[in-house]
Amino acid sequence: MTTPVPVLRLPKGPDPNSRGFDPNSPRYIALCRTTVATTEAAGGDEEELQQEQHARSVLRERFLRCLLAMNNKKVSDLHTPIGVQKEALIRSQDVISFTFDA
Amino acid sequence: MAMRQTPLTCSGHTRPVVDLAFSGITPFGYFLISACKDGKPMLRQGDTGDWIGTFLGHKGAVWGATLNMDATKAATAAADFTAKVWDSVSGDEVLSLAHKHIVKSVNFTQDSNHLLTAGNDKLLRIFDLSNTDAAPQEIAGHGAAIKKALWCNDDKQILSAADDKTVRLWDRTSMEEVKTLTFNTSVSSMEYMADGEILVITYGKTIAFYNALSLELIKIAEAPAPINSASLHPEKDFFVAGGEDFKLYKFDYSTQEELESYKGHFGPVHCVRFSPDGELYASGSEDGTLRLWQTAVGKTYGLWKCVLPVCLDNSSESECGEP
Repeated sequence: MTTPVPVLRLPKGPDPNSRGFDPNSPRYIALCRTTVATTEAAGGDEEELQQEQHARSVLRERFLRCLLAMNNKKVSDLHTPIGVQKEALIRSQDVISFTFDA
Repeated sequence: MAMRQTPLTCSGHTRPVVDLAFSGITPFGYFLISACKDGKPMLRQGDTGDWIGTFLGHKGAVWGATLNMDATKAATAAADFTAKVWDSVSGDEVLSLAHKHIVKSVNFTQDSNHLLTAGNDKLLRIFDLSNTDAAPQEIAGHGAAIKKALWCNDDKQILSAADDKTVRLWDRTSMEEVKTLTFNTSVSSMEYMADGEILVITYGKTIAFYNALSLELIKIAEAPAPINSASLHPEKDFFVAGGEDFKLYKFDYSTQEELESYKGHFGPVHCVRFSPDGELYASGSEDGTLRLWQTAVGKTYGLWKCVLPVCLDNSSESECGEP
């Protein structure tokens, strides 16, 4: 007669709403470079924090404008794994990631 | 009282799981990456199977996946003709490396600075990750699609297994073939163990162990069913194998005797790997799940909790219970 080994719980499955990589996990905090985000974390310089916040909102606005510009973008000579498409329309929901050279 | 193995099922994938890899042991534990035909490789905490994140970006089945030793980077090989490198802390895609055909295998050097890729275009490629504009070095020679390519001998050599029924050893500097093993059938899997320079190869119902430097045969074991993957325990006392009959088999390495078999998967087992501490092994199956299995059944480890005062298990060394 054998008894199955008891388990504390089952392994946690994926979160249907997110791709994971919790930014609050100890590993993420230790290994991912993050900027100072809050007054408590900064411990001080009000002016510096305000400047940073301003810079962050400028960047956020630019990012959103970038996304809007990507919406329904007509392109030519699109390189794909099955060849070069002379003309194509990239829909915003097709975009998984984008990079650009400064 | 004898304890019965309780596998831990990790769900989340929606298609067959075709490859698995563990990282080394890091200050945050060890990690497991799974390659799946659903195109979405996943990272999990190695000792519990808890999902950490999904790498999003591939547009086709992912055939191979690997982590670097400290689990800061991941690499994946896919049917969309790319190999991708990821930051495995943030989940972000760092690099996409274009190929001319389906990519099947990816492997980091120990310093994580170079990535070896291989696939259906029959070429081995070495990418310098610190100089991504440079074209990769290419090694030709295989006559058919390459299934697996691994760094060995302190990253000075490369081992590759292909559908041309050969396993080949290459010198990294000269890019020349050093030695070839020829089989009657295609090799189904290959695992390399640096400590001891052992190569584990499976084909048909056979699990074969070779010296990775000389490619000399060390020993052979036969399983009751065709085997798709096998893995040797870090301390080289056991090996496990899984294949077409859906079962996991555990063997004694010194005697090649079959010790145990475990049912659990609902489809063929495609890959099996021991964790870096040898306390568990993970299997990936056609049924879309990963399962974690204890090496010492009944031991308190990870999510397994022994509540009896004394437990007996397969290997008489370990026992659980109140100290």
